[in-house]
Amino acid sequence: MSATVAAQMIGADFLKLRRRRGTLAWALLLAAAPLVIFFAVRAGQYSSAPATHAPPGGTDSYIDALRILAVFFGPLAAILIGADAGAGDSSAGVFRDLVVTGRSRLALFATRVPAAIALSWLVAALGYALVVLGTFAFSAGGGPTPSGAMVLDGLGFTLLSSAVTCAVAVGFSSLTTSKPAALTVLIGWQLVASPILTNISSLGSARELVLREAIDHFSPVGLGDRGGRSGSAVTLGTGTAVIVMACWVLVFGALGAWRTRTMDA
Amino acid sequence: MPPQAEPRPDDGAPAIETRGLTKRFGARAAIDGVDLLVPRGCAFGFLGPNGAGKTTMIRTLLGLTRASSGSMRMLGVPVPEQRVTALRRVGAIVEEPRFHLHLSGRENLRVVAAARGPEVRSRIEPALARVGLTARGDDRVAKYSMGMRQRLGVARCLLADPLLLILDEPTNGLDPGGILEFRQMIRAMVEQEGRTVFVSSHLLDEVEKTCDAAAIVDRGRVVTQGPVAELAGGGAPGELILGVDDPDRALRMLDGSELIATVRRSDEGLRAVLAAGSEPAAAAARLNAALVGAGIGVMRLEPVRHSLEQRFLEITTRLESAEEGVPA
Repeated sequence: MSATVAAQMIGADFLKLRRRRGTLAWALLLAAAPLVIFFAVRAGQYSSAPATHAPPGGTDSYIDALRILAVFFGPLAAILIGADAGAGDSSAGVFRDLVVTGRSRLALFATRVPAAIALSWLVAALGYALVVLGTFAFSAGGGPTPSGAMVLDGLGFTLLSSAVTCAVAVGFSSLTTSKPAALTVLIGWQLVASPILTNISSLGSARELVLREAIDHFSPVGLGDRGGRSGSAVTLGTGTAVIVMACWVLVFGALGAWRTRTMDA
Repeated sequence: MPPQAEPRPDDGAPAIETRGLTKRFGARAAIDGVDLLVPRGCAFGFLGPNGAGKTTMIRTLLGLTRASSGSMRMLGVPVPEQRVTALRRVGAIVEEPRFHLHLSGRENLRVVAAARGPEVRSRIEPALARVGLTARGDDRVAKYSMGMRQRLGVARCLLADPLLLILDEPTNGLDPGGILEFRQMIRAMVEQEGRTVFVSSHLLDEVEKTCDAAAIVDRGRVVTQGPVAELAGGGAPGELILGVDDPDRALRMLDGSELIATVRRSDEGLRAVLAAGSEPAAAAARLNAALVGAGIGVMRLEPVRHSLEQRFLEITTRLESAEEGVPA
């Protein structure tokens, strides 16, 4: 497959995703609404009792807002988009029409991934813009603000979190060929199973295999130590974290590709 | 196997050729040793009752499911070995045409054009124009009628500039106007554009009116194939209908003629089956002369036209009887 064809197919997959208004609206809502609420509550608290509440902007708020976006709601938005990308053609019944073009099934699968990541990055970038905007716009009290390097690191972390989660979602959704099933399992894993597993200390180093822990390793602000996850004693080396993330992406990518290649269209 | 050159309109290879093609689902053979030959440049009907294996045959040809055994060639190119080459000039609608409902018609074509290759994008507007959807191309497909979706499905096929179109039950769900329009479109593609159109259908009338040749398929087997006119005649002996002013005398006279095998009364008059070897036109002329010579007035004398429907029912009934061990 030539680069031109690949680019066209990625563009077509991107078109399918960005025109799906419901999914996009939910993804944007997940990325933006919690941040708006967060900053609004902080601003309200500060304006009503400035002596007892920190300013709504500044470094502390940045760290909390980044956690909201990159650890909780950004991955959910990425899951929505990834699940749509993986199962969209099968759900709509057009997969067979794409197979009939003669294009290889692996190519049909492979182009879904960058298209989904591109859209999830757009959504995550919008959320991150809100994080930065709130951090600096509400830092009028003169408190510390994040450095430029920290802002860039935070952006990188947000994009990494979205991309990895989205890629896994595309693979899993392609495997199940069912968007509802993929969403149920992935959101359940992200919101329920992962936190539980990482807090079961008897699992020991097996907890390093939890994707969320591997992603959190790359947080620029030690997110894992904040926000009530003190029970988590999972500490990974950078190499381990990279390997764990790569394994998740590769395993689910391979399963999704296998299913796309072998299923009756 | 070395890669084969892209199929050409004039390379002379049949549009579709299968030998011993079989597709099994467990113990059940959905298609069973099918030998099929679809010539180029015609509308070819693949006719059979529901569940006969028509869609499975199409899905197997297109590589949507794997054959259990046998060989296939499309446009002279072996599939599935070189399906990419073969499918480059094949367009297909399998079962009902499906689309991304949230995209417009034009965007749906863009998605398929992207998979087909960079040169295909320029065919989107001509394809929409060909099926009369230019003005509605930016509407979401969710708002399209069934007929419009069928036409958009054809437009999607045309993106391949196909030498072979495979249409699975294309008139399902269409109103009479839509059926007529679709039939005219198929004929135009064959007669004006030189394409081959392979149409699967359970509607005998549809195949008879649209197609030049057909295969009749039942229970996964092709039971006969050939030009529609030949299939309708089917090698049945010639038959004549006679309207006369003295049926009793005519009946006695015809009964003794060496030109006639059997003769009987019917609602339409006398119905005579010609003896083997009798050429219908010549026999009709001789019988007319004999009847008139005997003083019997002849008001009507015409050959019986067999329809594909009769032929189809004859064949499928015979098969059912054979399977049940009852003489047909």
